[in-house]
Amino acid sequence: MNGVKRFFQQAWLYYKGQYTQFSFQEVFIYRMALPLFTLIYYCMAAQYGFNSPRLTHWVIGNSFLLCTSQGVFRLGLSFGDERFNGRLRTLVVSPHNKLAIVMEKSFVFIFEGLLTSSFGILCGSLIFGISFADVNLLTFAIVLISGMVAAMGFGMFLSAFGLVSDSMHFILNVIYMAMTILCGANFPVSDLPAAARAISHMLPLTRSIQAADMLFGTVDGVRLTSLLAQEWGVGIAYLLLGFITVKVCERIAIKRATLEMF
Amino acid sequence: MSLRVLVSSMLVQMKKSFARPMFRVCLLIEPIANTILLYYMFRHSGRSDFGTYVILGGGLTSLWEVILFSSAGDINRERYSGTLSLLFAMPTPFPAILLGKIMGNTVLSFITLILSYATARILFGLTLAVSSIGLLIAALVMAAISFVVISMFLAYALTLSRRTVLYMNCLNFPIFLLCGFAFPIEILPQWALPLSYALPPTWAIRLLRMCFVSPMDPLLFGEYSLILAGEIVVFAFFAVLLYRVIDRQVRIRASLEVF
Repeated sequence: MNGVKRFFQQAWLYYKGQYTQFSFQEVFIYRMALPLFTLIYYCMAAQYGFNSPRLTHWVIGNSFLLCTSQGVFRLGLSFGDERFNGRLRTLVVSPHNKLAIVMEKSFVFIFEGLLTSSFGILCGSLIFGISFADVNLLTFAIVLISGMVAAMGFGMFLSAFGLVSDSMHFILNVIYMAMTILCGANFPVSDLPAAARAISHMLPLTRSIQAADMLFGTVDGVRLTSLLAQEWGVGIAYLLLGFITVKVCERIAIKRATLEMF
Repeated sequence: MSLRVLVSSMLVQMKKSFARPMFRVCLLIEPIANTILLYYMFRHSGRSDFGTYVILGGGLTSLWEVILFSSAGDINRERYSGTLSLLFAMPTPFPAILLGKIMGNTVLSFITLILSYATARILFGLTLAVSSIGLLIAALVMAAISFVVISMFLAYALTLSRRTVLYMNCLNFPIFLLCGFAFPIEILPQWALPLSYALPPTWAIRLLRMCFVSPMDPLLFGEYSLILAGEIVVFAFFAVLLYRVIDRQVRIRASLEVF
């Protein structure tokens, strides 16, 4: 019981710590308004590029991408931040599970990511006139959560590299750029060359964006379930990979003794 | 203002910037990624000039990020290293050091345009036909000056703030949108257009795009150049004014080492 209490205490403390120097308005601008500008930019580029008056796909796809980016970045930077603040050595020698530390540090941010995504969808829908009248909102929420779960697994996997690398911002930004191109948020995955399509299917979000798109047209129940199951599968696969990677990286980090380098 | 200070500050800054992994992402990887993304988004547009939008859009968005995240972020990095107050208090004027830093970043940032063109050419076979090489050079020089002036303005504005990261991010996508980095500003709502016109990058981008339109209208090029020159003067004036205010505030608050 104490462990659970400590988990939530740590999660809340870390979240609060990130924003202590900002006012509520500044946090709102940073976490809600700016992602919305990103979404509007991609939607307008799509409007120009695809000559498309109907921007449902781009509003949904980019909202999902925003949600994921927050999840992936927060989880991925868990150890990077600790390295920067000189606490990584203390964490590595502590008996606490390293993935539990990542979870603690990103727990509240996951909800923040869901909130950002919902805000993006809401504002995007109002700005670009997208109707949710024929969409089953519960199914839509399940799709969004599935995408987030897959992204969390991916973020957990990436976070392990923070134990051995001092360039997590570099790694995460490159991955985010790759996701922007490969996830199908901005153009159909089928347009990509075969090799890029294969990578696209290994990334989180590709399937949940397809599933969310389906909800705005003809829903094929079997296909939808299959897409969601695959998305959960991707998330769980990355989580398992994360367990192994964190152990390997922890061993390498201790052997190299470069935990304070940045 | 000593030329030697300017040049050495510029050279040191270029080395320091290139040593940062995130700078290398913005400078070397982003233009490639942005060009690929814009190509796939614009290739079905049916427009004959879509290549110009892909190459300039991919290059210029990365160029702005390089300038923004380095010039504004450098103030924060100096603050974090505890050297901001030293830079401010030394006999060499702070604006000279800052200008050198910004010029260094701006010179490097033009690599993004070359990379964007190379990506479009190698991966997708896109080419650009320059209507006048002389006017293209003039447009590039004016664009560089406008970016330097804006960077000076931003760097001064962020000297006192501990929230540089927040403000830097605030100026990224909104500026892409307002200045028409990847698409013409005419598709923006009417109420947003005055804001777009008030920003020098809008005119710099228009000038650059015009250099790839055939036949090019020299009169229109002249008109846009005059507007851009006017806006550069206005921004430079406000940058100088802002520096005077900041210079005074820095000494009153004495908070350059607080982060």
